Amino acid sequence: MTTPNKDTKAPAPAAAAKPKVAFFDFACCEGCQLQITNFGELLLDVLGAVDVVEFREAISEKWDGDYDVVFIEGSIGDHHAEERLKKIRARAKVLIAYGSCATTGGVNGMKNSFELDEIRQSVYGKDYKLFDSTPTKRVDQVVKVDYYINGCPVYIPELVEVLKHALRGLPYTVPDNPVCAECKLNENVCMYERGLACLGPWTKAGCNSWCVNNGNICYGCRGEVSNPAKNANDVISKYNLKPELIKAKFDMYNKCKEGAK
Amino acid sequence: MSTEDTVNYHILMKGELDGFVKKLAKKMKVCAPVAKGHNNYAFEEVTSASEISMDYIPTILPPKKYFMPPREKMLDFDLSGGKPQDKAVLENEPLAVFAVHTCDLAGIQCLNMVFSERPRDYNYLLRKENIFIIGLECNKYCDGNASCALVGNHYPNGGYDLFFTDIGDKWVIHVNTQKGEELVENMGLAKTSSADMVALDKVREGKKHTFQNEIGVDPKALPGIFAKGVDSKVWHDVGAKCVSCGNCTNVCPTCYCFDMSDTINLDLKTGSRNRTWDSCQFETFATVAGGENFREERANRQRHRFYRKFKYPLDKFYRSFCTGCGRCTRTCMAKINLKDTLKALAAEHK
Repeated sequence: MTTPNKDTKAPAPAAAAKPKVAFFDFACCEGCQLQITNFGELLLDVLGAVDVVEFREAISEKWDGDYDVVFIEGSIGDHHAEERLKKIRARAKVLIAYGSCATTGGVNGMKNSFELDEIRQSVYGKDYKLFDSTPTKRVDQVVKVDYYINGCPVYIPELVEVLKHALRGLPYTVPDNPVCAECKLNENVCMYERGLACLGPWTKAGCNSWCVNNGNICYGCRGEVSNPAKNANDVISKYNLKPELIKAKFDMYNKCKEGAK
Repeated sequence: MSTEDTVNYHILMKGELDGFVKKLAKKMKVCAPVAKGHNNYAFEEVTSASEISMDYIPTILPPKKYFMPPREKMLDFDLSGGKPQDKAVLENEPLAVFAVHTCDLAGIQCLNMVFSERPRDYNYLLRKENIFIIGLECNKYCDGNASCALVGNHYPNGGYDLFFTDIGDKWVIHVNTQKGEELVENMGLAKTSSADMVALDKVREGKKHTFQNEIGVDPKALPGIFAKGVDSKVWHDVGAKCVSCGNCTNVCPTCYCFDMSDTINLDLKTGSRNRTWDSCQFETFATVAGGENFREERANRQRHRFYRKFKYPLDKFYRSFCTGCGRCTRTCMAKINLKDTLKALAAEHK
């Protein structure tokens, strides 16, 4: 397929046949949308395959028909968001949750570590009851999700892979191996060897150990593997770590897992 | 030693290594151990001797990464016509792997056996033909994690084109193949003197004392010990430690399991089939359709790994698939130690 650069000006007769794709954001930093605008040249290929009808961060157009594919970013933190999400789902053939906030609750999950009224008060002050707020939910705690793209932010190659699966109607499985699996293949010096505690051994792969490749630890943004090792005593003792430190690291991205109903 | 024996021995003065590497790098890509910090090393492309660590402990990944790349494209396909088309792909280039320890030479020999079995793995076998291997003898242990003497890999046992042994101010180079001979002749490397050969013998003699069976168990007894050890408590202890990160198998010179997957391009018509290293330590590895997992427990998966080194390949290839490199112990975050595991298992059958 050739890249239809000229489509940007034409009223797009050819584009009419392309799948209608829309992007929506809920409680998040919109950094995952930014990742898409950061596609670079790949963006032209993607735009050759789909017709983007809504994308708040990059275009002002709206669409009132049905969507072939919607991307949902952000977690759900109040009643209004729940209703809005349900309406989008009703108009979407395929729904993709992308980014940690949408797929696992992400950092918003930390809200669930507190009593709801206590955290509302701290954020909104004495009139907090005027501001609707619910415990953080992942997108799939509100509506059916067809595809997941974990990560904070999403890893572009995985996003494109999932999009292709969605366009072909094939299932995509988020890898259930730990990040170490990819990190070792990239032959990084292990962060533990560098004296740093890293969540790679417990976190789902699929990011190609993006952070460690660039000199950072794994923060666990993709969520825990489905059966993480419960016992980290040997790891803690080998590297002389503080158990509280490891636990605190898990809390950053994994709180939603245990919280909210 | 007779003159006939010394025919295939040449020397390289230590000061001439840089010239050797530079000349070699003009002929082909040269990969050698490079220091990565924190006492970690990796085989990487080099163009001069100053980048190389001749004194190194086994690299993070063994040289198997050049023979079976961690990620490898196998074929391209095209679904646009009436009938799907495919074309086999082999991405490779002439390459020299320099300063390969004897444990890793043994690892390559094991993989050669595996991939030569029918159905043959042509990607592996064709790539291998393009790799020039230069071994390097260890005159002392790399560290306490190695168990090369247990499996007899502390001495060279073939599997190379050239082989370097440090005898002080120079290396004695054993020439093992015609390709190797052409290279040393092309480089004009001098033949060894009888004094050099005496020095080589002395190094080999000294190693008899330096390297000793690391676990105090007769290697010939190991298959029997493993045959009786299927239900051993040792596996539960090891399984309780394991975090299933897969490091032990990824760094193993003889682990070769892989997974295959197809990926399509954005045109949704063309795509490729790719393989990636897999690990029997992963939850997903032995999970089959319907969700059944026939090695669900970490203990079972770790036991499987040990049997794949010390039992099954002995039955099939008459050879230990543990090369004694010590990588699995070094890389394990949860302190699973190969030597200790073998000792504990052997102790149950005293």
